[in-house]
Amino acid sequence: MPSYIKEFLKAEKPEGYYEALVESLHKANREYNAFNVIDENVGQSGNAMPFSTKSNICVKGVETTAGSKMLKGYIPPFNATVVERLLDSGRFAFIGETNMDEFGFGTFGVNAALPARNAFDKNYVAGGSSSGAAVATAMLKYHVALAVSTGGSISAPAALNGVVGFTPTYGTVSRYGLIDYANSLDKIGVMARNSDDARIVFDAMRGGDGKDLTCAVGNIGSKKKKKLFVIEELDRYADKTVRANFSGLLDRLSAKYDIETRNIGALDVAVEAYYILAMAEASTNLARYDGYKYGLQLKDLATRYNEFFTEARANFGEEAKRRILLGTFIRSESVKAKYYTKAARIRAIIIKRMGELLKEGFIVSPAFPMQTPKISEVERLTPVQTYATDIFTVPPNLGGFPHITFPYHYQDGMPMGAQIIGEHANDYALIDFVGEWEGEFDYRYKHNIGSL
Amino acid sequence: MKIGLEVHVALPTKSKLFCPCSLDDAEPNTNICPICMGFPGSKPMLNEAAVESALSIANALHCRINNSMSFVRKVYFYPDLPKCYQITQMDGAIGSGGYLDIDEKKVMIRRVQVEEDPAQIVREGLLTLLDFNRSGTPLVEIVTEPDIASEEELRAFIANLRSILYYIGVDINKEIKADLNVSCAETRVEVKNVTGIKSLIAALRYEVARQNALVKAGKEIARETRGYNEKKRITESLREKETEDEYGYMYEPDLTVFNISGMRYVPPVYVSKIAEELAKGSDMSPKTIKEMTMLDRNSLELITKLKGKYKMRSIIHAIQRYKKYNEDEPRQDTIEKMISLIDAGKLLAGDAVHAIKAGRSVSIEYARLNGPEIDRVILEFLKANPHVLSEYKKRSKTANLIIDKIAKAHGLHPKEVAERLALILKRHK
Ligand SMILES: [Zn+2]
Repeated sequence: MPSYIKEFLKAEKPEGYYEALVESLHKANREYNAFNVIDENVGQSGNAMPFSTKSNICVKGVETTAGSKMLKGYIPPFNATVVERLLDSGRFAFIGETNMDEFGFGTFGVNAALPARNAFDKNYVAGGSSSGAAVATAMLKYHVALAVSTGGSISAPAALNGVVGFTPTYGTVSRYGLIDYANSLDKIGVMARNSDDARIVFDAMRGGDGKDLTCAVGNIGSKKKKKLFVIEELDRYADKTVRANFSGLLDRLSAKYDIETRNIGALDVAVEAYYILAMAEASTNLARYDGYKYGLQLKDLATRYNEFFTEARANFGEEAKRRILLGTFIRSESVKAKYYTKAARIRAIIIKRMGELLKEGFIVSPAFPMQTPKISEVERLTPVQTYATDIFTVPPNLGGFPHITFPYHYQDGMPMGAQIIGEHANDYALIDFVGEWEGEFDYRYKHNIGSL
Repeated sequence: MKIGLEVHVALPTKSKLFCPCSLDDAEPNTNICPICMGFPGSKPMLNEAAVESALSIANALHCRINNSMSFVRKVYFYPDLPKCYQITQMDGAIGSGGYLDIDEKKVMIRRVQVEEDPAQIVREGLLTLLDFNRSGTPLVEIVTEPDIASEEELRAFIANLRSILYYIGVDINKEIKADLNVSCAETRVEVKNVTGIKSLIAALRYEVARQNALVKAGKEIARETRGYNEKKRITESLREKETEDEYGYMYEPDLTVFNISGMRYVPPVYVSKIAEELAKGSDMSPKTIKEMTMLDRNSLELITKLKGKYKMRSIIHAIQRYKKYNEDEPRQDTIEKMISLIDAGKLLAGDAVHAIKAGRSVSIEYARLNGPEIDRVILEFLKANPHVLSEYKKRSKTANLIIDKIAKAHGLHPKEVAERLALILKRHK
């Protein structure tokens, strides 16, 4: 499937193309809330492909809030490394910042002031936390999105909006300029309308960066595998429709791959381990928001510090408060061994066992355990029920393994996505896999804003 | 009595610990960047010069040093802490389980850890101002076990620590900063942020007296954190001691596990040991040599080079003479010339030292005056300086000054002047 980026850069653009693009984007955005910021100057970079950033990636001079009231008015004085690299390449033009769950805390995109809506039907959730990135990718014909995954925030919304969502190996893409959720888990990735575009963006932004000590994975491979593994202990988590459709996918894939069922033996506690580690880290990352240095500014600076601080921090959303409280509890000395240390051990076991299996083949699973829910439906879910929907996306995220989501079926007009996981630093093999799949599958899009 | 110390040492680097900002003096809030201001999206880098310096300290304190180290976040809310957590070290510290020798005893070192300094709080009237120039300054914290048992040991510990740090190149011009733990009975009381050896000793004395008085009165000593009030010279209760629980220490994921196995460090110099060696078979005590060289690398090198070639007493005397009249460090050839003159019985005054330093020849010939002539010179001097006599009556050492001045002014042998002066002074008594 040809790259939209290459096609766009080669094509003649009519006079006023970018102005018209911005106008129609504004119009669509009023319905779908995909963007928090739309940059009117997108046309001033010359012949360049529009790219958006999730609102937790710093863009110099552009209000970057991570979807939080606490950061209202925060204008970073620097670009994230990924933004710098895309702009420096001369092939990309910044079009805006996309909507998200506050600080990345969410699976459906509803932990936002105005939740993004599914590009296929606005009564349905967009998925989260990179909700706006997925919706934007499904709406704009020529556009790529920088998104972020901590525990599945690229895979889930990409799957629910029928786009390609690629999360690289942890440490291949610099996180400098990414507003932290959980530093040992956060990864910047790409959403695009096909695999080629994901590859081009990945190549433009990856590689060592002196500003991020964890960004140290240099060589990326493309080792093709003949085997696909289905994880036995996760099978029961998918609902009936998902299972039926996924089994259809396996039938199609079995023509080219040997499909085997395996048991890892630890993945059914991956979600618990993930939330413990992620909340512990998040609670420290959110400590700095105190209402006077940047973002939200309290008017009266003359109150006592404790009261000032309490007043400022009341402005976090409900989920953020929950994670601060739980994360702080988890870190406390009296329960650390019980939760944090144990979760870290589970993580180590998962990395080891998955790593061994992934040497032999890819792991394949549905990206999401249920059909896309309506916005009104998820409001009734408890936090734990919501966390449980991360069952397929958490394992590769916990292990820092590269994974990619692609649409494979449309059920009642809504896309369904599958996820392929690869071994560390074998990212190209996953992009190749989707490239191969695209040869036999027709992506459907409801919107094609910016068509030429 | 059990005393433990947490000594904070600022490392002599040009830039901050986690960002490239300069550490030079500057207008408030000008040496800052998104990293040391804790801006969302920023990430720490690691200043390798600071790590090398810390490694040198850990090594000099005989610490166990692993191939890698890691950092933790110490979370507490205070306006001077931009991220509301301090990046410091715990289990993954650069060094642990070491010791420092003080005379006959080893003081165990629990940990040597690298950490960042918070911003500076400046109070101006009703205003609380923050200067982030200091934020991110590299510090090393040296945590001892409560092995120090007396004021003398505390002094010795600090003196030896200063010497070790000096030879590693850690600037100790600034006063020592430390937290002091004192337990006279069972309860440990922490005295925070004491600056300077004088304050440290005063805080210790006050705390010992306070705790002993409480014990005597049958009262309980509260487990607490106290501050030292420099003006009143007392310790004051600050707040109930936070338990380690409340800091919520967590591994710092942005700095990863940092490999230090191939890093350079400065080899340690233990002056106490070297002084023992140098004093062996010499006419000087190890104590004198130690005191002279603890914070003086040049002297140590000179003594080491010249040992055996000259008498130790002459070497020491020459260096002391030189230092009396000069700010700079002596060269070896200057000291050797001085030694040969000293050994020839000549008392070297400032002029002579300067002449030797400048490479001019100094005559060993003395003016030839007979007894009465010397007496005349002495009497003239006493007449011109009547106060010296009354001073002499108070302090007989004043005689040395008089001898020095007269011998220098007339090119006389100090010994001759001394003999005649003794007779004259006898008459004046
Ligand atoms: Zn800085």
